[in-house]
Amino acid sequence: MSRVRFDFDDDSAVRMDEVGLNYHDGEDILRDVGLTLPKGSFSFLTGPSGAGKSTLLKLMYLALSPSRGDICLFGRSTRLLKRRDLVTLRRRIGVVFQEFRLLDHLSAFENVALPLRVAGHRLATYQNEVEDLLRWVGLSDRIDARPSELSGGEQQRVAIARALINKPDLLIADEPTGNVDPEMSRKILRLFMELNKRFGTTVFIATHDLALVDEFDRPAYEIHLGRLRGRRRGAAA
Amino acid sequence: MTRESPLLPVSDAREAALFFVIGALCFLAALAALTVRGTYVAAAAWGDQIEGEVTVILEDTDMRTAAEVASDIQNLSSVVDARILSRDEIEALLAPSFGPGGLPEGLPVPILIAVQADMSAGDPVPDIERLLRAADLAGDVGAHAGFAGHVRRALSVLRMVGLGAVGLLAATAISVIAFATHAALLARRDIVNVLHLSGAEDRFIAGLFARRFWGLASQAGIGGALAALMVTALIVFSASGRAGVEAELLPRLSLDIWDFLILSSAPVTAGLAARGAARLTVLRALKEMR
Repeated sequence: MSRVRFDFDDDSAVRMDEVGLNYHDGEDILRDVGLTLPKGSFSFLTGPSGAGKSTLLKLMYLALSPSRGDICLFGRSTRLLKRRDLVTLRRRIGVVFQEFRLLDHLSAFENVALPLRVAGHRLATYQNEVEDLLRWVGLSDRIDARPSELSGGEQQRVAIARALINKPDLLIADEPTGNVDPEMSRKILRLFMELNKRFGTTVFIATHDLALVDEFDRPAYEIHLGRLRGRRRGAAA
Repeated sequence: MTRESPLLPVSDAREAALFFVIGALCFLAALAALTVRGTYVAAAAWGDQIEGEVTVILEDTDMRTAAEVASDIQNLSSVVDARILSRDEIEALLAPSFGPGGLPEGLPVPILIAVQADMSAGDPVPDIERLLRAADLAGDVGAHAGFAGHVRRALSVLRMVGLGAVGLLAATAISVIAFATHAALLARRDIVNVLHLSGAEDRFIAGLFARRFWGLASQAGIGGALAALMVTALIVFSASGRAGVEAELLPRLSLDIWDFLILSSAPVTAGLAARGAARLTVLRALKEMR
């Protein structure tokens, strides 16, 4: 199945212009967010719990619409996109959810293969690819296990593999190291960096682990009271 | 282990409850429809029978003359059968008025000739009256056709009421199935969400759930319809030993093409209702998700 690519001169994977979001009662969740993620960049998003990190990511992976402003993905405004185009865009984005969102009745293999399967690919065309990816995240011996049979860390890695299987142009991860030990956290981050280097995937990671952010020394943004700003290395959130 | 399990879970306790609800509703709807249809068939047969019956009442004559008259009537082209009723048969006819103890001794009882006519070959009443005049016999010819008209009108009112009740029950069943499907699907919103964010198109997700609920509802509908068929058959066959007026008035299970159409419409309607509700619910949920 061929991918639809958009014509664009814009060199950014994500561009947010004065984006705001408020609930129905009018309370602002995000205010005047301006953010540009160049293609092939690797950056972090930090901030205290409830600051709006997950909400910002939801806007980015098209689960929410902004109340104000515009979000451009791969050079194209998402404001007036048709649903069909939204699906096409969504297939270029890999998402690692904070709560994994694995389907309990499917095995690790089937969960990872889900984005390919719903896009109409046949098992024979992706079987090796999925097995390789599961091996890469260290789950070669857990391929047929269901999520309920996996530990939190293993589920996390299945969720990561699912986000990567499409070789996305943009990888968004919401607290991808939240359920794993420090060693595994570093392993996961190195895996993301390898993806970023090898395929030029734009990576954007929300985390509250400031030590990890400082250790990997990449551009970081901080969200506080619904506003986004650049974060200096070593600064407390 | 298979590498392509169904995208939706194979079994679910919530769906078992939905299966039962749909099966029970289809059972009730099919049972009501079969009963109305059986009553319709019985009423039509009863009406036809009444319309073709003629009773000849002879007074002040003997059995030999009556037998000759009955024989002459039998020879008429529009008459299928003509026979003199025995005293026992007359007592049975008059039992509602005189009770089961029989007719009082000494009560003069007229001779009755029961005539079964083929009304399509013509009305035999004028010919019978001519025969009686020719034989110089005092008597009365009672055609049931006029009475049958009243019966038919009453039956058609009953039929309309029955059809209305079946229609109302079917509409209620469809509404309940749609609502129950909607409720069952809300519990599946997590799967809709994951598929949506995995890049599945709306119609793909809606199609998955529509097919799933179509299968579930039509299977439940088949179960309900078969149960209705069995219960109807049980009622009809257990009552088939009864004789007389009771047997005539009982609904009839003809098991013809109409009965099978009624039975098959229950699962198809249930399946379509669940399929439509599933599709609409999923599409609405997806629209809310962006």
